[in-house]
Amino acid sequence: MALLQVRGLTRRFGGLIALDRVDLALGAGEILGVIGPNGAGKTTLFSLIGGSLRPTAGEILLDGRSVTRLAAHRRVRAGIVRTHQIVRPFANLTVFENVLVAAMHAHRSAAGHARDRAADVLELVGLADRHDQSPGALTLAGRKRLELARALSTGPRVLLLDEVVAGVTPAEALAFAQLIRRVRDERGVAVVMTEHVMPAVMSLSDRIIVLEYGKRIAEGSPREVVSDPRVIAAYLGSEAPAAGEAAP
Amino acid sequence: MTAPHIPRAIARADEDAGRRPWPPKPGPGPGRIAPPLVPRAIARPFLAACAILAALPLLDLSLYTHNLLTRAYILIAGALAWNWMGGLVGQVSFGHAAMFGVGGFVAARMMLDVHLSPELCWIAGAIVAGVFALGAHPLLRLRGPYFSIATIGVGEASRVVFTYWERFTGGATGLSLPIDADFQYQLYWWALGLAAAVAAASVVIRRSSFGLKLLAIKADVDAAADVGISATLYQDLIFALSGAVVGLCGAMSASYNSFIEPNDTFAFERSIGFVLMAVIGGIGTSLGPALGAAVFVLVDTQLLASYPKLHLGIYGVLLIAIVLFEPLGLTGIGRRLMRRVRRPAPPVASPAERA
Repeated sequence: MALLQVRGLTRRFGGLIALDRVDLALGAGEILGVIGPNGAGKTTLFSLIGGSLRPTAGEILLDGRSVTRLAAHRRVRAGIVRTHQIVRPFANLTVFENVLVAAMHAHRSAAGHARDRAADVLELVGLADRHDQSPGALTLAGRKRLELARALSTGPRVLLLDEVVAGVTPAEALAFAQLIRRVRDERGVAVVMTEHVMPAVMSLSDRIIVLEYGKRIAEGSPREVVSDPRVIAAYLGSEAPAAGEAAP
Repeated sequence: MTAPHIPRAIARADEDAGRRPWPPKPGPGPGRIAPPLVPRAIARPFLAACAILAALPLLDLSLYTHNLLTRAYILIAGALAWNWMGGLVGQVSFGHAAMFGVGGFVAARMMLDVHLSPELCWIAGAIVAGVFALGAHPLLRLRGPYFSIATIGVGEASRVVFTYWERFTGGATGLSLPIDADFQYQLYWWALGLAAAVAAASVVIRRSSFGLKLLAIKADVDAAADVGISATLYQDLIFALSGAVVGLCGAMSASYNSFIEPNDTFAFERSIGFVLMAVIGGIGTSLGPALGAAVFVLVDTQLLASYPKLHLGIYGVLLIAIVLFEPLGLTGIGRRLMRRVRRPAPPVASPAERA
């Protein structure tokens, strides 16, 4: 059975249907990419799964149990955690405290003391030497690492990464890709990621779903998806001559 | 935000939080950040100061100073408790006089009708004030200036209700309490004990996992929820705690005056007073508001008799100066001085190096 299952998820904002009956399934230890043009509903999907928005219709199941009605902070305990596209560190805490405060609310299967887990995660993302600095002293890539560390320290089973690579240098993006793969391989965390940076999402994802205007228009392996005519049309317009690089 | 000085002040307030060894040593409990919760550097001078203050009345202390100190202790406790809400969570309340009054009147009523010992009446007042603060739960959905404005409403509404609720509060004539002079004198130690306990609690809360969660909520409510912190729960908890302590202050204050009257107890000036004490002393710092409260009492008592309105002008000037130059108030000035003392002017390169 799939670890995370989303059935018929719909969200309206007034007359606008941001997300329209989207289904997806995520297996344990899988990395699922969610791509689509701007405004396709990727962030809405994340907010719905993460619990900061309520769906208009549809269901979200974790291990076959519905989490649709749980508040965001309770979903973290259940094992679903998200990161934000625009990083939101707690500016008044140090790097270590940022991670520690999240580790205190870990998923119940997480082992060890919060402090040990926080230290462990900081080592993993490579911020240990910055532990007593203010998040404001970090570079954007550093703050993105912190955002990832904070999410990881809650001991998630499903990690939702919203554009974690966007805006960093190509070298940093590569480092992030390796980090995400390590998180999956070493900790068995299943990942759902959205990304505009195509090389990152193409190389990392086991499977990709494509959203356009809130609807799921394609699903498959990265290779299948980029050659899908509907996907090319969504990104480049229907008159597009050939399947080029699908970066926006 | 509420006022330009508050977010900046808060960001600076937490600068001194770090400087811990890496990797962090495993501690006794999952919630502990950096054992011990109360560092020795603070604990010893603090205990010494308490001991000296407790011994003062045994020496030759004028009644005037005795009175001044007792009032100061009560306000110190109140200002520190206000700061749990206004400083740690960043929810600036302009309605804490409501809890002060509720605690005071409940304790007064218990004293007059149930004839319990004053200490039990105070505790009852504190509990009711804490529960009353929980009633503000819907307000805690609001943040920043919206929260502050809503608390003004709650404070004023309580004042009006208690003024017209004559059977309970005695209306505008108030209630006289059966407090004998001996007990009034002993209140010095009760008030000192309360202030000391609240100060210790402020340090412990600030350094505990609870305090860390409150600071996270202050920084970003939504991001806090996204790492599993229930903003509602922790804000309710700290507001109830803060309200209970301020209620206890109200109860003690009523006993000390052996009189309580709604218009003065619930006065908006009192709510503003808590804000001013915290801002003058250093909003968001663990112990700054205590300093602010001490200054507040001094200014009040020195000027109120001879120039009844001058103190307002002084607070105004102080507030402007703090907002403009030192968002952490007296604590910030103190820290600057400490830094200057510890790190004298950067050494000029010696002639040998220059060569």
